[in-house]
Amino acid sequence: MAMDTARENLIKDNKSKKERLKKRKESMNKEELLYLRRKQIFDKVWPFFRFLIIAGLCFVILYPLIFMISCAFREQSDMNDPTVMWIPRNLTLSVIKETATAMKFDETIINTLKLNIGCSFVQVITSAITGYGFARFKFKGRNILFAVVIMMILVPSQIILIPQYMQFRYFDFLGLFKLFTGDTINLINTAWTMYLPAFTANGIRAGLMILIFRQFFKGMPKELEDAAYLDGCGPFRTFVVIMIPNALSSFLTVFLFSVVWYWNDYYVSNSFFTSNQTIALMLKNIDTVLKMALFNDASLAVSARQLIVWMQAGCLISIAPMLILYIVLQKHFTEGVERSGLVG
Amino acid sequence: MEKPKEMKREKIKIPYERRKAMYGYGFISLWLIGTINFFIIPLFESFKYSFKNVNPEAGGMEGNWVGLQNYIDVFGKDPYFRPYLIEVLIDIVSKVPLILIFSLFIAVILNQKFKGRVFARAVFFLPVIIATGPVYAIITGNLNTSGNDNASQFSTMFQTDFVTELLEFTGVYGLNEKLTENIKLVIDNVFGLVWNAGIQILIFLAGLQNIPSTAREAAQIEGATAWEYFWKITFPYVTPMIIANLIFTIIDSFTDPTNKVMTRVLAMQYEWVYGKAAAMVWSYFIIVLIVVGLILAIVNKFVYYEVD
Repeated sequence: MAMDTARENLIKDNKSKKERLKKRKESMNKEELLYLRRKQIFDKVWPFFRFLIIAGLCFVILYPLIFMISCAFREQSDMNDPTVMWIPRNLTLSVIKETATAMKFDETIINTLKLNIGCSFVQVITSAITGYGFARFKFKGRNILFAVVIMMILVPSQIILIPQYMQFRYFDFLGLFKLFTGDTINLINTAWTMYLPAFTANGIRAGLMILIFRQFFKGMPKELEDAAYLDGCGPFRTFVVIMIPNALSSFLTVFLFSVVWYWNDYYVSNSFFTSNQTIALMLKNIDTVLKMALFNDASLAVSARQLIVWMQAGCLISIAPMLILYIVLQKHFTEGVERSGLVG
Repeated sequence: MEKPKEMKREKIKIPYERRKAMYGYGFISLWLIGTINFFIIPLFESFKYSFKNVNPEAGGMEGNWVGLQNYIDVFGKDPYFRPYLIEVLIDIVSKVPLILIFSLFIAVILNQKFKGRVFARAVFFLPVIIATGPVYAIITGNLNTSGNDNASQFSTMFQTDFVTELLEFTGVYGLNEKLTENIKLVIDNVFGLVWNAGIQILIFLAGLQNIPSTAREAAQIEGATAWEYFWKITFPYVTPMIIANLIFTIIDSFTDPTNKVMTRVLAMQYEWVYGKAAAMVWSYFIIVLIVVGLILAIVNKFVYYEVD
C-alpha cells in the first residue's frame, strides 16, 4: 500500500517535472532552446569521448609497467615464444632473484634508503626554514638573495658539478681542517657529499623546494603568528609550534617530491660516488652489471633483446618502493599539491 | 620608577624592525652558508675555468689563462656543439607548445566530475615519480650501453600505426606533406608527451581549482557553451599557470641530463677537458637564458592577472 502510493507520487512528480520543463521551454525563445538542446546532446556524448580519451591514455601510461611486470616473472625462453604475449608460460621468480643478486639489491637498497630518506627529510626541513625566512621577514638584500634562489633553479647542475667535486675532494671549512690536521679531507664516496648540501638547503632541486615553501607560507594568514607573538612566543618557536603543524600536508607533498628526486637521481651521485652505491646508479649501468653477473664479461656484445627480461626485472624492483609509497600516499600526492602553494 | 620603564619600552620599540630582520637572517643563515659554499663559489670557479686551460692537480684545478679561446673553440671548432644546440632548440620549440596544450586539455578533463576520477588522476601523475630516473631511459630505449650495439636498443613503450592507418584511410595522409609530418610527430610522441606532462598537469589542475564558482555560474546563466566557457573563463584564469608551466618545461628540458648538449658536456668532462666543457655549458646556459627571456617578454603581454 505504502509502496504504491510512493510510486504514484513518484510518477506524478516526474510528470509534473516534465510538464514544468515543457512550460519553461514554451516560455523560452529560440536561442535559449537551441542552447538547451546543444547542451543536452553535449552532456550525453561527452562522457563517452572522455572515457575513450582517459582509458586510452591510461593504457599508454601503464603499458610499460604492465610489460615490466609481465616480463619480470617469465623465463628468457618465453621471449621467443610467439604464443606468449602478456601471460608468461613459465612463471618464475628466478629472474628477479638473479637480477637482485646482480644488483646487490639488499646492500644497495639500504644504502639508497640511508641517503635518500635522510637527505630528503633534512632538506625538506631546511628549505622550509629558508622559505619561511623569505616569506615572512623583511631584511636588507632579501630581493637579491631571493634572486639567488631563482638562479639555483635556473642554473643546470652540470655547470657547478666539477668545482663541487673539487670542493669535496679537498674539503676544508674556512681553512680549519688544514690548520689542525695539516691536510684537507677527501669526502668523495662518502655520504657527506649528499648530506652537506641537503643540510644547508642546497641539495637536489633545493631552489624549487624553497620557492614552493615560500609561496606556501606567504599564503598563510598572518594573524596566526601575530597572536603567537603577542603571547610572547619567539619567531623560531612560532615557526615550530604554529606554522609547521598547519603546513603538514604541504610538508608531506614536498617530502614525497624530494624522496622521488633523490631516489631517481643518478647525475649528481654519479659524480660523487665512484662505485654503484645507489639504486639509480645501478640501474644506469644495468647493462654492464647484468653482463658481469650473467656472462662474467662486461664487454660482451649482447643485444638488449636478450637481456630484456633481466632489465625489466631490474626496473621493477627499483621502482617498486616508490610505487608502493605512491600508492599509499597517492591521495596526498594528487590532492596535496593543489594546496601546497606550488601555485600562488 | 616611571622613567626607566619608559626607557626600557623605547629600547625595545626602536629595534623591533631590526630585530625581526635579524630573525630573518637567522632563518636563512643555514641556506646562506650552503649557497655560498656549494653554489656561488662553484659557479664562479666554473666561470673561471671557462677562460682557462685547466688540469686537475693535487689540491685543486690548475691552469693558465687562455682568454676567450675556449669559447672560440666551442663555437668554431667543436664538431658537435652547434648541430646539437640547434637540434635541442628545435626539439624544445616544437615540444613545449605540445606539452602545454596537451596538459591543459588533460587537466580540464581531470577537473570534471566522473566515476574513477581518483584512479585516473593517480595514473596521470604516475610518470612524475618515474620519468626523472634511469627507469625512463630504459623504457624509452635510451640507455647508454657499454658501446658495442646501440642499434639493438629498443623501447618498450606503446607504439601504434593505428592513427597512421586511419589517416591513410580517410585520405588526410596525402593531402599536405607538412600537415602529415606534424600529425605524425604528435602521434609518434604521444608516449613521451604523456610521460613528460605529469607536473604540468598538476600545476594546471591546481590553477583550475582556483577558478571561483561564481564565474562558472555566471557563464551558465549567460548560456555559454563549453567551448566558449573554455576560452572566456578557463583560459584567462590559467594564463599565469601557462607562464609557470612554460618556464618549468623549458628549464626542465634544457637541463635534462639526457639531452644532447648535456651529454656532450659530460663526455668532455670524462675526457678531462674541463675548460672547454665549462665554456660550452656557460654559453649554452646564456643562450637558454636569452631564449627564456624572449619567450617571457612575448608571452607576458597576454597574461591575465586577477586583481585582488
